[in-house]
Order: sequence, then structure tokens, then C-alpha cells
Amino acid sequence: MFEISKVKYTGKIKEVTLGSGEKAVIIGGETCYPFHLFEGEMPNTPKIAFEVWDFEPDDWQDWAIEPFRDVIGNPAAWARKCVEVFHAEIIALNLKGADPNGKDRVVEEVVSVVKNVIEAVDVPVIVWGTSNDEKDAVLLRRVAEVCEGKNVAIGPLSEKNYKHIGATAIAYNHPVLASSPIDVNLAKQLNILLGNLGVKDEKILIDPTTGGLGYGLEYSYSVIERDKMAGLTQEDIKLQYPIVCNLAQEIWKTKEAKLTQEDDPKLGDEKKRTILLESVSAMSMLIAGADVVIMRHPESIALVQEMIKELTSRGI
Amino acid sequence: MILIGENLNVSSKKVGEALKNKDRKIIREIAEAQAKAGMNMLDINIGPAPKIGSEMMSWVVRTVREVTDLPLSLDTTNIKAIETGLQVHEGKALINSISAQPERMAALLPLAKKYNAAFVGLTLGDEGFPRDANERGLFAAQIIAEAFQYNIPEEDIWLDPIAPPIKTQQLQIQGCTEFTLMIREAFPECKSIYGGSNISNGVPRNLRGMLNRTYLIMLKRYGIYSAIVDAFDSELANIAEGQRPELEKLVYSVMDGDDIDNSVLSEEEIKYVKTTRVLLGQNLYSDFWLEL
Repeated sequence: MFEISKVKYTGKIKEVTLGSGEKAVIIGGETCYPFHLFEGEMPNTPKIAFEVWDFEPDDWQDWAIEPFRDVIGNPAAWARKCVEVFHAEIIALNLKGADPNGKDRVVEEVVSVVKNVIEAVDVPVIVWGTSNDEKDAVLLRRVAEVCEGKNVAIGPLSEKNYKHIGATAIAYNHPVLASSPIDVNLAKQLNILLGNLGVKDEKILIDPTTGGLGYGLEYSYSVIERDKMAGLTQEDIKLQYPIVCNLAQEIWKTKEAKLTQEDDPKLGDEKKRTILLESVSAMSMLIAGADVVIMRHPESIALVQEMIKELTSRGI
Repeated sequence: MILIGENLNVSSKKVGEALKNKDRKIIREIAEAQAKAGMNMLDINIGPAPKIGSEMMSWVVRTVREVTDLPLSLDTTNIKAIETGLQVHEGKALINSISAQPERMAALLPLAKKYNAAFVGLTLGDEGFPRDANERGLFAAQIIAEAFQYNIPEEDIWLDPIAPPIKTQQLQIQGCTEFTLMIREAFPECKSIYGGSNISNGVPRNLRGMLNRTYLIMLKRYGIYSAIVDAFDSELANIAEGQRPELEKLVYSVMDGDDIDNSVLSEEEIKYVKTTRVLLGQNLYSDFWLEL
């Protein structure tokens, strides 16, 4: 009888718990390539985190603001709406306001926003810093302190600031996001460094650096694929960690997401287009091997959730 | 195996300054020390040196000649400097290098003919670095065909498969390894040569030798004729001379995919096993490959 050939796996992605209490979420744990349920297990389906900003965004498209218009000036209320109305399982709080190249909000002001959001929701929270090594070294350490007991994922940690943030994350028992610039060797190296520092295996997440569709998606795709191949088939224990893609900010800032149909009729309806841009990109990341994608629009999220459900339901 | 000492290189701070200040003592010392270390040839790398290359090359060659008769490899992209080097070099020199780029071949092949020099045939074309073994083969064929027009015998062509740095191009190493194996069959009259320290470029200094030595064993197995190496890595010279057959055998087993029982191996042998695996692309490179 005909049998399809199957990949032989030798590894397993580690399980990492986000959040605490009843709504805690476990990610990772897969023993096969994404959605290859005929070859192995995906005990925890890939998750979508709803993006929330620490301040009222001043450059968002009106159709991105629309679902959150009533709460967008209040991060805590915004996060709560994601959970209560859109059934978010994870919140990703983006501390963009602290970016020295932007509003450069002072650390304590931003930290109080983090506190409010953490207290407002019972689902796990990912706190995403500014990607500025120096600012994050100060800001994310304070975040780790005020989130004590909440098991909040903190990042991104780079090769430059991982020691500072990593040590504080160990002290307050939070998972960290190890960030490398679309490079599988550097990803491995940073994971090793974090391990040497004392971060436990079940507290490491990989941020491979995410490119949006038309802006380097294929590079991220290849790196995520290679991460997973190394972890699952080459016994590379230092790449057996769940992958988190911070996608929303990469999609919504592009020219193709900002132009309206009026600006360029060829591009078609702007809302439909952007939602497809975001959902198709997210799906690509998931098929490459992402365990969590951070997304913005409830409609694109609903589309991707439906696809995840179809791909993970049994009885094919 | 022919070993070519790499240590007269402008990118070393000490040599760079000696070249700038025309410090004969230092140049002579380094040349002499490499000869003493058993090198069969010496590489003279003066960089592109656009303005003073010509004069610099002839000065270095004459200075080195004061202490050794070893044949020299004239290593620069400066065509004029190659020619002045050839003029003062006695005996057969090696031009390092001539790529498959048409303007390089047009300028340098006549010099190889005129001075009866051998040359490094760099498997690199106008389109840039080769992506696999086949592209290397294509560039090699172009070089050989062009050299034929000048009646340069194939034995004077030393094909260079271009070893990439593992730190940034680990995946490309296979192409270099495979092409080295191809040379014997596809271009049996040609010789071969590679930069024995390229593979470890950017790697922490104390770990570079491990990669250089292991890759030497791998390419030696495939019949590489010569390597440009760190003259002061005596263990590498021992391996090249065939004095570490047990290490070579071990690396071959890893290359052949045999099961390796680490429990019967020494610490040093385990390092060679790990390094071979990284060079084969079986493990992803990180600076900590020996510790995992």
C-alpha cells in the first residue's frame, strides 16, 4: 500500500508558559514541522497576541483605529477590550512611546502604563521594548520588577543588553525574548549566552526579527524554517525554543498598508488590502514555524485563527 | 602538501607598519621564521596598495630574498605590483590571483606567460562569489580555456575553490568542499590551493586553529595540493605532513557518517569531531561549538 514518506524527527520544541493563573498559556512543545500532524504532535496550537500600544498612536490608519476607537487613548481599557470583546488569549504591549527616536517617554511614565495593563487583564502579557539597547536595558529591567509574579514575556534582548535584562528576568522569574537580526547562527549564539547567564530553558523564546510581506518576509521565513529544522531534526538543543514574531508593526507601517484606494486606485480597497496583508504574512510565519504572532486588526486575527483551527483539527 | 606561509600580510598590524616604514629587519625576521617553520613557499600580501604597490612589492620581494630562496606567492589586486614583483623574483613565482573576470584575465595572463609564472585561478566571476560547486567548476573552466589561449600549461593553474568564512556563510562551505573533490576528476592537470585561514575569519582568535586544522584534514582527503596557512601553527604543519594519521582517520569517519563513540575519545579528539560536524553543516555554527 502507498505510504507517504515522513520526516524523521529527533527533537522537541520546549514548552514555555506565559502568564499565571487560570488563563496562563503554554506555547511550543511541538515534535514536528508546523501543522505536520501526520508526522508528530503540536500539543499547543500556535497563538495570536493582540497588539496594544503604551500611548494613543498618532500614525495609525483610521481603519486600524476603528475597532478600538473608544479605548485607544487608554492602554488598560484597550487591552481589556481585546480580551472581553475579541477574546484575546495573549496581549502584546508595545512600548513604542519610550523609543528615543520617537516620543522618548521617560521610563517611569511607561512603567506605570505597564502596571495598569497587567492589572487590567488576566491573560498573559508580552512586553515589547523599543529595540534600543540602552533604553531597553533600563526600561525592561523596571518592567521585570513591577510585573513580579505575572510571568510576563520580556524582550527584545540583544547580544548587547541580554546580561542586564536577563539577570533581572531571572530574579523575577519572567521568560525573555532572545532577539537576533535574521540570522540563525546568531540566534543560536544568543540562546547559548542566555543559558550561560542562568536563564532556564523553559524561559527562553526566540525573536527571529520579522519582515513584512514585500519587506523581507522571505528572509524571516527562511530563518524560522532553519531554526525549526535544526531544533527538530538536527538535535540542536539551543534552537529548541518557541518562536515569537512581532508582525503587526512591520505590516501596518508600510506604504502598501497606508495608501488609500483614492491615492492609488490600482491597489484596491485599503481596509481589505491591509487585512489581507496582515493575515497572509501571519499565516506565512506560522507555516514557517512561528509559535506566536503579534497582530493588530481583529478581522485579520479572526481569519488567521480560522486557518489555524482548520489546520489543526483532526480527521483529515 | 605544499604549505604557503600567510604571515607577511598587510592586514597584520606589525607587518602593515613594517611595510609603511620600510622596516627591513621585521620583514626579514618574519620571512626567516616562516622558512624555519617549514613553509614551502611564502605569500606576500600587500593589499591593493593603489599608489605605492609597485615599488612596495619589489622592495618586499628583494628584502625577503635576502634571507630565503623559497618561491613567493605575489598576493595583490594591483596588476602593476604583480609585474614588478615578477621582475625581481628569481625562479618560478605564483601570481595570487587571477579570477574568471575577463579584465583580470586579459591583464594578468600575459604576465603569467611572459614570466613563466604559475597562478592562482580564483573561481570567481563578474557575477560575484560562486554559490555552489558547479558554479566554481564553470569559473574554473573559463579560466583554463582563457589560459589555453596563451599556451599556459594547466599544471601552472592552481585552482582556488574559495573557502568561505564559517561565521557568516556556513552553508557555502559544502560548495567549496565538493569542488575540491571535483578538481581531481574534472581538471586533473591543474593544481589546487585554498586560503587555509579564511574559514575561521571572524571567529574568536583562540579557536581559529581548530577550524583551520580540521578543514585542512577534510580538503587534504579530497586531494588539495596546497594551502596558504598560518606558518606558526605547528600542529597544522604536522597534520599536513601526515604525522597525525589517527586524527585524519577520525575526521574521515565523521565525514562518512559513521557512529562515533565519544566515550573512547580524548578531549582533543572530541573537539575534532565537533568541528568536523560544524564544517559539514550538520550543526549550526556559533562561537560556542566546542562547548555544546
